[in-house]
Amino acid sequence: MGRYYTELTRAMDMLAADPRTVFIGQAVGYPGTGITNTLANVPKDRLIELPVAEDMQVGISTGMALAGLIPVSIFPRWNFLLLAANQLVNHLDRLPIYSDYRPRVIIRVAVPSVSPLDPQAQHDGDFTDAFQLMCRTVQFFRLHEAGQIVPAYEYALNHEGASVLVERVDLYDS
Amino acid sequence: MTSADLIAFEEDIAAEFNAGRIRAPVHLYDGNEEIMIEIFKHVKPGDWVCCTWRSHYQCLLKGVPPEDLKAAIMDGRSISLCFPEHRVFSSAIAGGNLPIAVGLGMAVKRAGGAETVWAFVGDMMAHGGIFHECFQYVTNWGLPVRFICEDNRLSVCTDTRAVWNSNGPPALRLNDLVYEYKSKWPHAGAGQRVQF
Repeated sequence: MGRYYTELTRAMDMLAADPRTVFIGQAVGYPGTGITNTLANVPKDRLIELPVAEDMQVGISTGMALAGLIPVSIFPRWNFLLLAANQLVNHLDRLPIYSDYRPRVIIRVAVPSVSPLDPQAQHDGDFTDAFQLMCRTVQFFRLHEAGQIVPAYEYALNHEGASVLVERVDLYDS
Repeated sequence: MTSADLIAFEEDIAAEFNAGRIRAPVHLYDGNEEIMIEIFKHVKPGDWVCCTWRSHYQCLLKGVPPEDLKAAIMDGRSISLCFPEHRVFSSAIAGGNLPIAVGLGMAVKRAGGAETVWAFVGDMMAHGGIFHECFQYVTNWGLPVRFICEDNRLSVCTDTRAVWNSNGPPALRLNDLVYEYKSKWPHAGAGQRVQF
């Protein structure tokens, strides 16, 4: 793995240093995706493996944030996060508009590489532009370079509100 | 807060709406005052209450001052009333409040807190997928979340039992509650066509 992947790991370590953070999703507490190893240094009691229930996952993240935690909610594909569009758009994004709640949720999502395996049509989505059009308060960050990663996560950690950080699996080796 | 107080509040909001002074939807309660008062005898000040789009009674019984509640409704926020200082959250998306209640319950449990999260759901959504996910998760992990299913046999004007071909909402746990009520108010508004 290259610097991009190392910086992702460093960003997760930085987030884990804040006791308010928890890391939730699939393949968080169990191996399974490229994301898993970037959480190697996160204390086990801060990793919450969830069932495959994407909309519930973003809702849970929002609820935990209302109570003062900062969930890092992890999705290995945009196509999977699409199933949580309701909670992401109607709740996480709209709550700061219709209420005084400011849920601080950090969503981590990946755009897959097309090699060595083609992820195919139901796994290759990058819906960042579409979700930016649907959202009014959530901030989106495309992580195109290794140097962007830690500053973007630092901003998300300290920013009042929710963020979506989009990483590129094709850069993991760069 | 008595039944008469609750009824009077909704009557006042109905009059304001029918006079065209609220330029947003309102969803009014009626016929469930006694059971709601009984439920809220068990709700502590530190508890969280997660509501649907019909939530005036929950807000009042959780301690939101009536004048603050009315101001929010007059400002057009009846369908999504939130009062962080009273730990009240609402969503106007069917089932949308449920996973958020689960997350609150997880946070309470991780902190070792004694608070309870009260999650309200209608009889239509109590049949639905997101409710079953949340109910299973709460039950299997022993989270401090209690579900209150409000069964008026309707979703807007649709007969819930007919469309699900069921005899009613699913059985919940011992500490949860399903109650039936019949309201004099329509799903939205206050029974008169308002010309803005």
